[in-house]
Amino acid sequence: MNQVDTSPNAIPNVNLRQVGKNKPRNDSPTKVYGKAIYAGDLIMDDMLFAKVLHSDRACADIKSIDVSVAKTLPGVHSVLTADDLPATNAVMTDMPGQVGGGTKNTKQPILAKERVRFYGEPIALVAAESYELAQRALDLIVVDYEDTEGVYDAFDAQKPDAPIVYGNDNIVAAYKVRKGDIEKGFQEADFVLENTYSSQYQEQAFLEPEAAVAWVDEHDILNIRSSTQVVEHFRAVADALGMPHNKVHLQAPYVGGGFGGKEVMTIEVWLALLAMDAQRPVKLKQTRENSFISHGPRHPFTITHKTGVTKDGKITAAKITLTSDAGAYAKLSPYILLYATVGATGPYRVDNLWIDSTSAATNNLPTCAYRGFGTMQATTACEAQMEELSKLIGLDSLEFRRKNFIQTGDPNATGQIIRSAVWSDQCATKAREALGDKPKSTEHTVYGHGLACYQQSYGRIRWMKDTSESWVGLEMDGTLIVRCAVTDIGAGQMSALAQIAGEVLGVPMEEITVYFGDGHVNPLAGTSTASRALYMTGKATELAAKNVRNNLFECMAEYFDVRPEELDLGDSKVFVQDNPERCMSVKDMAKHCAAQGVHRHSLEIYRAPPSEGLDPETGQGEVFPDFTYGAHAATVAVDTDTGEVTVIKSVGAHDVGQSINRQAVEGQIEGSALMGQGFALSEELILEKGVLKNGSFSEYLIPTSEDVPEIESIILESRSGLGPFGSKGIGEPVFSPVAASIVNAVADAIGTRIHHLPLTPEKVLTAINEEKTKEAAE
Amino acid sequence: MQYEAPQTLDAAVALLADARGAARVLAGGTDLLVQLRSGAIEPDLVVDIKRIDELKKITAEDGGYRIGAAVSGAELGEHEGVRALWPGVVEATELIGSTQVQGRATMAGNLCNASPAADSVPAMVAADATARIVGPDGVRDTSVRDVATGPGQTSLGRGEIVVSIFLPARPARSGDAYLRFIPRTEMDIAVVGAAVSVSLDDEGTCVAARVSLGAVAARVLLVDEGARVLIGTKLDDDALQALAAAASAACSPINDKRGTIEFRTDVAGVLARRAAQTAFERAKG
Ligand SMILES: Cc1cc2nc3c(=O)[nH]c(=O)nc-3n(C[C@H](O)[C@H](O)[C@H](O)COP(=O)(O)OP(=O)(O)OC[C@H]3O[C@@H](n4cnc5c(N)ncnc54)[C@H](O)[C@@H]3O)c2cc1C
Repeated sequence: MNQVDTSPNAIPNVNLRQVGKNKPRNDSPTKVYGKAIYAGDLIMDDMLFAKVLHSDRACADIKSIDVSVAKTLPGVHSVLTADDLPATNAVMTDMPGQVGGGTKNTKQPILAKERVRFYGEPIALVAAESYELAQRALDLIVVDYEDTEGVYDAFDAQKPDAPIVYGNDNIVAAYKVRKGDIEKGFQEADFVLENTYSSQYQEQAFLEPEAAVAWVDEHDILNIRSSTQVVEHFRAVADALGMPHNKVHLQAPYVGGGFGGKEVMTIEVWLALLAMDAQRPVKLKQTRENSFISHGPRHPFTITHKTGVTKDGKITAAKITLTSDAGAYAKLSPYILLYATVGATGPYRVDNLWIDSTSAATNNLPTCAYRGFGTMQATTACEAQMEELSKLIGLDSLEFRRKNFIQTGDPNATGQIIRSAVWSDQCATKAREALGDKPKSTEHTVYGHGLACYQQSYGRIRWMKDTSESWVGLEMDGTLIVRCAVTDIGAGQMSALAQIAGEVLGVPMEEITVYFGDGHVNPLAGTSTASRALYMTGKATELAAKNVRNNLFECMAEYFDVRPEELDLGDSKVFVQDNPERCMSVKDMAKHCAAQGVHRHSLEIYRAPPSEGLDPETGQGEVFPDFTYGAHAATVAVDTDTGEVTVIKSVGAHDVGQSINRQAVEGQIEGSALMGQGFALSEELILEKGVLKNGSFSEYLIPTSEDVPEIESIILESRSGLGPFGSKGIGEPVFSPVAASIVNAVADAIGTRIHHLPLTPEKVLTAINEEKTKEAAE
Repeated sequence: MQYEAPQTLDAAVALLADARGAARVLAGGTDLLVQLRSGAIEPDLVVDIKRIDELKKITAEDGGYRIGAAVSGAELGEHEGVRALWPGVVEATELIGSTQVQGRATMAGNLCNASPAADSVPAMVAADATARIVGPDGVRDTSVRDVATGPGQTSLGRGEIVVSIFLPARPARSGDAYLRFIPRTEMDIAVVGAAVSVSLDDEGTCVAARVSLGAVAARVLLVDEGARVLIGTKLDDDALQALAAAASAACSPINDKRGTIEFRTDVAGVLARRAAQTAFERAKG
């Protein structure tokens, strides 16, 4: 067992039977045998097929849209443009949590009316007897555009004469943090280092492109079965169509990956409109190429760090500016900017701090949620700066980090006091050790080691007042059911709930049935986003299971003539702790308790700790429920003749609080290793004046199975998180430091740093050659 | 669109020659189907040649090998004889796509698709391979170099089919190699490709060489100057340096999102040098 943590949140060691074990997930068999039904697999009688006309301009006036010929095509049942929609023609792209509808700034036209603001903006919808017919109808729609002057750079967008894309000034969001005295802090510094780092667009590249089927049923309820991370969007669909919330039913079957790309609504409202208009079921499956423009990619960020340090390595002050490109609509840009702002100083304590952050609108693709949610971009810049600072003062980079790590009880950038364990040091030490010795350079190969740490929140922003519900019940035959509308987006969300309920009630997880993904028959559980699904839905499930257990124990205590605290559940038996011979099978217990009228079910709610927002002048306040800490380390080989970078070893070491399923944690770490590697080395959406130039998998290069390095997962468990059994969120945290560690490893290998990602062979080769020229000149 | 899968070569040629609109040969389809699906081509007739037995064989001939136009990359890779004689051609063909693509893709299709970045073509050019072409006017043999005339353009006449690729015999102490550069390990179009074939005398001195580059010009290049600087040497550093310079000098690439002119030119030299080293090691045995 790991060391015991002493943070206020830590819970003492308990003997766990299933939780934390390496168990095959409950959803594995159906997926492995190809039986799982995804949103696009559903076939209904009389079903129509939809296609969407996306703009091929980034910034243009629409003079006219002529659908007259398309409408006459036999077999075409519905052709919709903005003129056919409710007058508001707006859909909310916010994630309101429990605090109600979004602000007007996060609304977006459902279909473009007089103007298109980005490449791919939807203009018309068609439903027909087949995809081929729908496509033919699309081809017959004539859009008369007139290109207008756009703005394609987040800095240009802030200039006084910039074309206006959003609001009055293109500013989608801005934050500031003012803490301590930075003048004084810089005076105390022996060195001041300033650097600018920038990062690119990244595509989520989930396995399953957007897909959904919508139909109106015999009760006039609009049903949508969609590949989404958020079934609560039924509200936004209803609002957009002017319908009562209880007349829209949105459900998610298994989802083939989301990574944030299915967080804001994608295709649901289009299908809703078509199904209502045609009064027949309608299916839409985006092609891969259209998927690239159907959700928002990762925000490019430009981040400048000016840092003061003493010669013994203490950070005395930091002045940081962050700028992100929001694209043509706000979507979640304000939140993402806030995450980046909180994450700007990483897991380090900086008492004299000045941060300005801005998200600006352009005519580029609207950017949105993507695993890491701004924190990742901030981490990538922060960790590069940490490495450069340690180089500058001649200190080992981990030693330097150690002098500055936040500890439990310290305030972070917004002054939030950290109450859970902070095991940055333990994680970083273990990750680096696991790399071993650096291989010796050969003729044209040099090697580098890189390390990165992070502070990443889990759970949603506290003033959203996030909640999750879950229901646990013991059937009369002793089997368990969990009902919880969490969406299972491939990370094992459903299976984790079985493991948690099984732990509490002593039944093997594989025997438990979990109903998930459908918020109209299961209690609403909130989103599978923000590394909150396990934290929130797991906690609600744990609480519900404990209620059931208490009810059962009360009855069984009488039966065994002991106090309820003396009982335990395990191996499908209830037994007296001191005398396990005195036991009864769960099956018989269920029968016995049923006969006594015991309440064998429980519906529970878990509420995340709330807060009321930030002070707008100082940026101080409590933003997140809690944070996860850890490290990633990597070894790379660089070909000095071609600039090619190969990741040889990738190690993630994270304090996950408590792993619920080890396999699932390892899966997250391994998947992250590749996703971060793609971001560091090859992935970049290329936009020319807003027009996407590489929207396909033959041009947009994600790592393939051949690029997988040796990956090691090191799991530490402080049991200090807010989740079930002291767990912390891990979906995003384990990803956030990966790219930074690879970038640092490349800098270590070639002796110089490249400030703009990704590190393509061409950029690396140029940097190597420049370094050679510099050395020759010296 | 009409689809035909004749069982004889004559029938295939007749179908293509008599076709009224645009007609296409279908081998593995790994280029053709992608182009069909994206709407880049809209042929009226597609003639599948995979049912024609004689196109599915690899046969020994005059100390070399004749490879049928319907032989897939995977089948070629399993052929011990070809592997031993022309390892560079086999490794180039095996680089095409992934395991799945290998089960379908053919060398002849790679050649006839006429991409300047086609992986097997520089290796075939370095091997001085010959394409056998059958058409309405009979049979002709031509150097593989002369099949592609520009991106997507070939010298094939109406109704003509490439039926086989002939990899010739070669002296003992010969070797070839192919290298390509892409930013990830597999599944991408070459930024640069380089193939080198050398033959050595008993002393280990290079007596014959062919150097070929892909993705650095509108067609795959044969770099005579690269061969010249190797012949008479034992591929010492100076010779390799001269080869790299000759390879870079021969390039006239385009700037695109896969690589700039400077990068492609630079890397062409690097790959030529490395391919030559491998070919040389293989030749020494
Ligand atoms: C996922 C993927 C990855 C790929 N990766 C690579 C790669 O790494 N390197 C690379 O070079 N290519 C790659 N390709 C392209 C393609 O696989 C190759 O060019 C392959 O060799 C084509 O062979 P084929 O048999 O499939 O040709 P087809 O698609 O059947 O035909 C290609 C063209 O040649 C014509 N043609 C075919 N055979 C003949 C013949 N015998 N006579 C006359 N004309 C003919 C066809 O009419 C068509 O125009 C990839 C393709 C895919 C889909």
